[in-house]
Amino acid sequence: MVVRRRNPLRSVGFLVLILIIVIFSLFPFVQMLSTSLKYPRDWGNPSLIPERINTSAYKELLGIGLPEPDLNAIPESVRNLLEESDLSDEQRQQILARYVDTGDIFPFPRYFRNSVVLSGIAALLSVSVAIFGAYSFSRLEYRGRGYVQRGVLLVYMFGGILLLIPLYKVAVGIGLLSTPTGTFVALLVVYMVQTLPVSLYMLGNYFRTIPFSIEEAALIDGLDRLQTIRRIIIPLSTGAIATVYIYSFMIAWNEYLFASVFLKSFQEIYTLPLGLRALFTSKNAIWDRIMSASMLTSVPVIVMFMAVQKRLVGGLSAGGVKE
Amino acid sequence: MANGHAAAVRTLSPKQQEARLGWYLVAPAIIIIGGLIIYPIVYNVYLSFFDVSLSGDNTFTGLRNHVRVVSDPRFWNAVWTTVIYVTFSVMGTVVVGVVVALAMNREFPLRWLVRSIILLPYVAPVIATVFAWQFFFDPVNGLFVHVLVEVLGVVANRFNLIGNPRTAVIVAIVFSIWKNFPFAYLMILSRLQAVDETLYEAAELDGCNAWAKFRYVTLPELYFILGSLVLLRVIWNFNKFEEVYLITDNVRVLSIYTYLTAFTGALDLGRGATLAVIQFILLMGFILYYVKRVLKW
Repeated sequence: MVVRRRNPLRSVGFLVLILIIVIFSLFPFVQMLSTSLKYPRDWGNPSLIPERINTSAYKELLGIGLPEPDLNAIPESVRNLLEESDLSDEQRQQILARYVDTGDIFPFPRYFRNSVVLSGIAALLSVSVAIFGAYSFSRLEYRGRGYVQRGVLLVYMFGGILLLIPLYKVAVGIGLLSTPTGTFVALLVVYMVQTLPVSLYMLGNYFRTIPFSIEEAALIDGLDRLQTIRRIIIPLSTGAIATVYIYSFMIAWNEYLFASVFLKSFQEIYTLPLGLRALFTSKNAIWDRIMSASMLTSVPVIVMFMAVQKRLVGGLSAGGVKE
Repeated sequence: MANGHAAAVRTLSPKQQEARLGWYLVAPAIIIIGGLIIYPIVYNVYLSFFDVSLSGDNTFTGLRNHVRVVSDPRFWNAVWTTVIYVTFSVMGTVVVGVVVALAMNREFPLRWLVRSIILLPYVAPVIATVFAWQFFFDPVNGLFVHVLVEVLGVVANRFNLIGNPRTAVIVAIVFSIWKNFPFAYLMILSRLQAVDETLYEAAELDGCNAWAKFRYVTLPELYFILGSLVLLRVIWNFNKFEEVYLITDNVRVLSIYTYLTAFTGALDLGRGATLAVIQFILLMGFILYYVKRVLKW
């Protein structure tokens, strides 16, 4: 190790650089949290710390309490107008009504549930299929294995847009998209296949790190291959399997392109990304609602990511990535 | 396992048995990928020769879709926008990735925490983070315009960066860099950690300063990983839809142009399929050129 000359000016510069990197990474999240807690009249105030905390957007999204006329949301000039000028009661109510949420309530819990069910099942299917495929790649010798493996990697190269039109045409053709259940199944299958290549790759890499000798002992003891997968490989890989599951879950949770085309006629089975987009383009697009919905959409994946971060980072650096 | 099956297996050598099991286990994955990725791609090429109807029969139109696509100035405009978007977003991602990786390769207090914080942009859903960026660039409430106009006074009037189709691509590029630099950083850092420390010691003995060490030791060591990184990011950013479409609908890169052509107004799946095929051919052309020239495979 070389002894480095310590230059205080440079150390300060380095810490400033680190600070800039942290701010760059975190700023949008801080902005999101800050705006989600501000009253509409404070949006123009550039400070990131809200003067008064407004949790009504969260309450509304989560269905806690009923929407009520929000006096704090009314600009002071309007409030003065209400108090002083001699408006009729009817006029007063009309002005007040502008500051009450008149739009239909955004069904956040339902979209949340749709997303959980869809991503949860798609990831489960993907991982289940991938365990056997990855075992085959990493443990069994046969001709053509290399081609299959490389073929799976090649699939990374295809963008979603290339698959979207034919899959949509096929799904419409066999009548899947005419009912909500069929649509849900179609999207489930799409998400499973989108996450399958990366699951195969990541699990294959992990299985190669399990010493074959453990398995050999079991095979000598008379277990067949399928039994060793169930009794040896799966128990030894629970961490890796959980990681791959969460990664697949996150991919499905974040997906927008296919959802936007497949789900468009059935608002009741919208996933969160689609719901948020609909909220944003609707006339009820209010920053505090959008930002709190964004927070509530981000938190589950961030928590899941933190839980498996160490393993996942290893997997990502080794090339197991899907975009 | 059934006896009949066991009897059939007995006639195979252990090696053949293993091969057979190998294919059995991987078969579901192959069937799914074949049926839902490979087949649709082929079907997409087929569709590009038709006037596609969702309810009735498709009408064969030969190369008419292709001719219509390439003679449309909007297509060339989309190609140009894509080139700008991909070039700058990839360059930015790689540069930020290198800087962050170099910084994270040094010891400092709370490094473990910083290392996990900077992964958040890559992990958080696109749909959730675009709104914060839109708010940041918002002409009325946003901090960006506030700082430029009110604090620094560099610009006289408030302006709408996202709303203007000519400048919206800048926002899309910034967002892409923010979103994807953690991926670049991870790949570069794992390579940096493998660089032999003695190379730096030797360079130091030769009197190299920090820049010279970076230029003559670090950069050559990173050449291959940067080359692969650029390739992957070009492929992904070229195909990117959500990261552009959700932050602004004013930037018509190819995938957005394809999407809008195929799925809005009078659905035109045939022309959409044609666009997807052309997009794929352009990408393949780039990949072949790049792999030969830059990666020298």
